[in-house]
Amino acid sequence: MTEVSIERLTKTFGSARAVDGISIRIADGEFISLLGPSGCGKTTTLKMIAGFEEASEGAIRFDGKDVVNVPAEKRDIGMVFQNYALFPHMTVDQNLAFGLEMRKIAKPEMRSRIAEVLDMVQLGGYSDRYPNQLSGGQQQRVALARALVIEPKILLLDEPLANLDAKLREEMRVFIRDLQRRVGITTVYVTHDQAEAMTMSDRVVVMFGGRIAQIGPPSDIYERPENLEVAQFVGQVNLIKGTIAGAAGPGKSRVACVFGDVTVDSRTDHTPGAAVTLSLRPEAIELKPAGQGGAQGKVTARYYSGSIIDYRIALDSGETLHVQTFPNIRIAEGDRVSVHAPADGFWLLGAAK
Amino acid sequence: MKRPVLTLYCLLVYAFLLAPILVVVGASFNAGNFLTFPPQGLSLRWYVTFFHNDVFMRAIRTSLWVAAVATVISGTIGTMAALYYVQHAGRWKEAVRIAMLAPLLLPEVLTAIALLFFVYAIGIGTTTMIGMVAGHVLITLPFVFINVSASLESFDPSWDMAARSLGADRLTRFRRIMLPLIKPGVIGGALFAFIISFDTFTISFMLKGIGTSTLPIQLFDYLRTNFTPEAAAVSTVSIALTLVVVIVSEKVLGLRIHRF
Repeated sequence: MTEVSIERLTKTFGSARAVDGISIRIADGEFISLLGPSGCGKTTTLKMIAGFEEASEGAIRFDGKDVVNVPAEKRDIGMVFQNYALFPHMTVDQNLAFGLEMRKIAKPEMRSRIAEVLDMVQLGGYSDRYPNQLSGGQQQRVALARALVIEPKILLLDEPLANLDAKLREEMRVFIRDLQRRVGITTVYVTHDQAEAMTMSDRVVVMFGGRIAQIGPPSDIYERPENLEVAQFVGQVNLIKGTIAGAAGPGKSRVACVFGDVTVDSRTDHTPGAAVTLSLRPEAIELKPAGQGGAQGKVTARYYSGSIIDYRIALDSGETLHVQTFPNIRIAEGDRVSVHAPADGFWLLGAAK
Repeated sequence: MKRPVLTLYCLLVYAFLLAPILVVVGASFNAGNFLTFPPQGLSLRWYVTFFHNDVFMRAIRTSLWVAAVATVISGTIGTMAALYYVQHAGRWKEAVRIAMLAPLLLPEVLTAIALLFFVYAIGIGTTTMIGMVAGHVLITLPFVFINVSASLESFDPSWDMAARSLGADRLTRFRRIMLPLIKPGVIGGALFAFIISFDTFTISFMLKGIGTSTLPIQLFDYLRTNFTPEAAAVSTVSIALTLVVVIVSEKVLGLRIHRF
């Protein structure tokens, strides 16, 4: 098994820096997601790890050995592509055998390894099919099997679920995650879908403009976003303006805002009077009938989507809030409400870099 | 038929395309002494005459030989050029394309005359087949190039990347992944090359050595002094040969593959 260490990795195209000096240490068996909008450098980073793009500067180490000058075909990686990239002129069996033939694995071992992996992706009995005889989900599982059957050092996945429909995508998330846990292979997963990154990863690397904005477990990324950009990219967020009212014990600040004084972790300038922005997730907010304390406002819109209901609230103080509740609380459009936000729902945002 | 006008139009187009061939084939079974249609009685006598005519037999062998050699050379060069064009040409792409298609755009007679001067200027002359084969390669190259580059355009680069990630070196990737997937284009291009070469007149006429002759030239020569159904028999055999080449390569090499 393999530990991957990326050190000050840079890729320049002409004068543009697609990847700008990023460093990540990936532990053996860890599942890491590179998350960001298109053009943030996540795919270029993956391609440099795979060896399809040459690194302009920096190092990529597999178990301490720099592989920057090792060609892709000698890096011993398993790769899964967005469009599956199964060889259309070969059957499932031949697709899986290809990598093993390159490694000169003996026939009997080849047979048993292919059977084992096909079983793992629940496609036993499909070995004689051609890719065009399989559904999108099945093709993606074959692609996964083809990458895993060679027992590579690391598994790289480039937006593998982007071409699947919503329901299948959710099933595949869990499927890939469980499979990765079982195999225990070090995995790098590229996606622009934050829900995908959060469900699957041990840690998420959020990238903007070729740089890393934040690295951390999904709960950190979501609940303790480094800055405004990360907070807005990962899920929906209400931004609450406030001013520092003073210190509130070690490492804590009191911030005055529309919900009164709230106590948050000090992360920025905490001289009293400084203007700051607090983030407040829509699902952290609680709505109660009017006149029950908290901030007062009116429901301007309501969107029902089954498991949750989305509300837009216009506060009397002029701000608009985005609130999500379970459907057991039902409030009609136009109703006046009391808005409560728990103290631990607020998070002080740092300035964007 | 719901659209009588369209049907009629289609029939007319087919008649326009196929009628001359049917007339030639029909005329070849003529029992009479002159090339007429409809035939005067049915007979295979002109085929017998043709197969016993050494001059025609030699010409047909020359034609087949030149076409085969030109197809192999043209197929190889054209495929390599298409590979360069699609994968590596970069900002020279348009220039490469125009250069490769030039033989198609220039009048064949100009190409032929230029080549004639050229082979004499460099001292090869027309005593060997080299000049003629070179000419055939030149005029068939664009057809290979167009066909192969079309099939390369639909070759997904991620197939190559997938093969690389699985540990395949450049040669293996070409042999096991790319070649099988662009095969229809290569074979299609080669078929075109063979048929064009087998059929061409101008280039062969200019670059043939004294005493050698290809089938179209021999036929032209023959028709200048004779007007027997033997000419129709020759044409019919050459049409049949072309069909055989197309069908055999379809069956043996296969033009179809599995695709998404």
